[in-house]
Amino acid sequence: MALRIFRFRRFSTQLLLLLAGLFAVVQLSVYLLISRVNERNAIEHIHQNLQIGARIFHQNLSERIIFLTGTGKTMANDYAIRLLLKQEHLDAQTLASNLRSYAERVDAPVLTLFSPESEVWGTNKEGSGTENVGPFQYLIRRATENDMEQASGFSYLAGQLHVLVVVPLYAPKPNIAAWFGIAYPIDTERAREIKRTTLLDVTFSSAENEPHPRVLATTLAPGMAEKQTGPNSAAAGIMDGIHTITLGGEPYVTLFEKLELLGEAPARIALQRSLTAELAPARELERLVLFISLVALAAATLVIFGIARGVSRPMRELARHTNLVAAGDYTQRIDLPREDELGQLASAFNHMTEGLAERDRVRNLLGMVVSPEIATQLLHSDLKLGGEERVVTVLFCDLRDFTSFSEKMPPTEVLTLLNRYLDRMSGIIEQHGGVIDKYIGDAIMALFGAPVATPDAARGAVAAARDMARALEVLNAELQAEGKPVLAFGIGINTAQVVAGNMGSKTRLNYTVIGDGVNLASRLEGLTKDPAYATPIIISEATLAAIEPRPSARALGEVRVKGKADAVRIYALSARGETKPPYSV
Amino acid sequence: MKPTLLLLLAVTVLSARAAEYSCTISSAKGAPVADAVVSLVPLDAPVPPVPADAHVEIAQQDQEFTSYVTVVQAGTKVVFPNRDSVQHHVYSLSKPKKFELPLYNPGKAESIVFDVAGLVTIGCNIHDWMISHLVVVPTPWFAKSDAAGTAKITAPAGRYRLEIWHPRGAVAAKELTLADSAATKETAVLTLKPDRRVRRSVGTKTGGY
Repeated sequence: MALRIFRFRRFSTQLLLLLAGLFAVVQLSVYLLISRVNERNAIEHIHQNLQIGARIFHQNLSERIIFLTGTGKTMANDYAIRLLLKQEHLDAQTLASNLRSYAERVDAPVLTLFSPESEVWGTNKEGSGTENVGPFQYLIRRATENDMEQASGFSYLAGQLHVLVVVPLYAPKPNIAAWFGIAYPIDTERAREIKRTTLLDVTFSSAENEPHPRVLATTLAPGMAEKQTGPNSAAAGIMDGIHTITLGGEPYVTLFEKLELLGEAPARIALQRSLTAELAPARELERLVLFISLVALAAATLVIFGIARGVSRPMRELARHTNLVAAGDYTQRIDLPREDELGQLASAFNHMTEGLAERDRVRNLLGMVVSPEIATQLLHSDLKLGGEERVVTVLFCDLRDFTSFSEKMPPTEVLTLLNRYLDRMSGIIEQHGGVIDKYIGDAIMALFGAPVATPDAARGAVAAARDMARALEVLNAELQAEGKPVLAFGIGINTAQVVAGNMGSKTRLNYTVIGDGVNLASRLEGLTKDPAYATPIIISEATLAAIEPRPSARALGEVRVKGKADAVRIYALSARGETKPPYSV
Repeated sequence: MKPTLLLLLAVTVLSARAAEYSCTISSAKGAPVADAVVSLVPLDAPVPPVPADAHVEIAQQDQEFTSYVTVVQAGTKVVFPNRDSVQHHVYSLSKPKKFELPLYNPGKAESIVFDVAGLVTIGCNIHDWMISHLVVVPTPWFAKSDAAGTAKITAPAGRYRLEIWHPRGAVAAKELTLADSAATKETAVLTLKPDRRVRRSVGTKTGGY
């Protein structure tokens, strides 16, 4: 059913659709394939970048720790701080101003000095609460307990993610006189740094399972990072690993990592890259490919259209010629100078037309040579020997004394006269449904009820005989007027079961009827020569009996036909149906 | 004889007051240059001695030195009072005078006599951003350019070596003769290096506080 819409009447349309469709399918497949490969490559590429980004992030943090530790140690050896610590009473204000100076020097926004017992001596930030010293004290305890030269970790300071380092102030080593606590924020600036090197978006957020998860820093557009933070977010339930999440309608391939904090739930690091952004160059290429494909499709369609027309026009020409041939016009020839199959077809078609014309001529000739009915019978049935039994009325008509008649005239005149006579008689016979079986010299053998069976074959034969008698009178009147000798004939009619069919050899056939009934009709015609019967038309009892109602006829008694046991009753038939003399013929 | 001497003296004094030197200093970009030190060192006449009670002050206040550039004649006593709320540790490693005033408390003042001419750059050991330039010149005739870049000196007529100095690296010198009762006006263009002083962060510049 679905295919029906593709059934176009025109072959060129079908060819066009088929080839253009095929081409389009190939192009589309290529396009989709490229698109899929691009997308897979993009995701693969992002995966690699994410892992590299994560490494860079961790390396940045370790480098920062190394830097803070190194500068912290150098700072701890500074002369001025020793002088300050040497004083009897710790001058907190001077220490704070000194720490501010150091903080500038080591580029760390948080710098706090602790006693060896980890109590706060001073900080560079005035008024910063004790909440910001806890993580340092934790690290100092850890360093002290484990006898470490320094300690580092990650923690919140005033709500902001920081990397923390504690380094001892030796006086001299290994005697610890104080601890420096240095912190560096993991903030938006750090996130941007990573983005600059890796092109990845970076988001730091607090632990997913906190009561109020929040975004600490992000390189994403405002509001975007919040969509992947919290229990109802796009990234809800995701702890670690690479996932593709949708933010603001765009797919982001995202690497989630935990950042362990000092004594707190770990923070979450999200490194991500928009798949759309990553695919942008590929999409640009795909659009170009699509454009080229469309142009190629259009060009291909034009070419195919040309080819299809090249095929379909000769086809239509062939169809037109076929219609002409079907209508009986065999004179047209297709002129198609091509070497291909279509050229061969056109050539074969021309040959066929010639053959058909030849056959038509033969058929017309046949119609003239044999009666049209027989010709039809011959044409529509398999020509083979053999026949069938059927009831046929056979009419024999023979001219009187034609042999002596013909001797008195030149042969061409005889033939002209004979043709004139036969033409009239044949016409009458055919008018009444009779079929000329053959001309035997001047004699006519006609069949009624064969080859096409008719119910009133006998009536037709009788009517034909009467009309023939009248026609002969007319013809004789004409001949007399022309000063030519008049003609006389005798007709014998019999109805009998005969064998009708094709007789002869395998190469030459004749449609005719044979049987005793045929011979009887011939005999009856012969009887008309007998003056005792005084009639030109003699019909058998069988013929009369076959006509309903039975026509009036003069009984002539019985005749015994040679080779037949039973006598046959015969009757004289006049032209006008009289049964007694004088007869008009 | 005496009146003549007095008259001569008066003329000398008058003529000494008459010579006025003015120099307007601009940068290569045409902006006026302040804090440039202009000094006139006499080439023929002897240099007058520094008055015994002469002293100059470079105080510490709000964790800064009160003046960025200070000019004194060699032999002048410079006082470093701490008018701050925190201690300071003033020092210099400059060749004309290396010294250290170890941590001293607010309210106290230390003093040092600078005998040798030259540039003494002064810092504070515990506050990196504190810096002061003390320019010790061998002459009483000097000036510091104002905000308009102009430095004015009144000096006796005579031959001088003009020296211009600026903390951002520029030095210029030339010979100059000042005439009696004449005002000399000059301009000078200095090519300055970028300012590389330690920036002092004020309050909360970095971090998430």
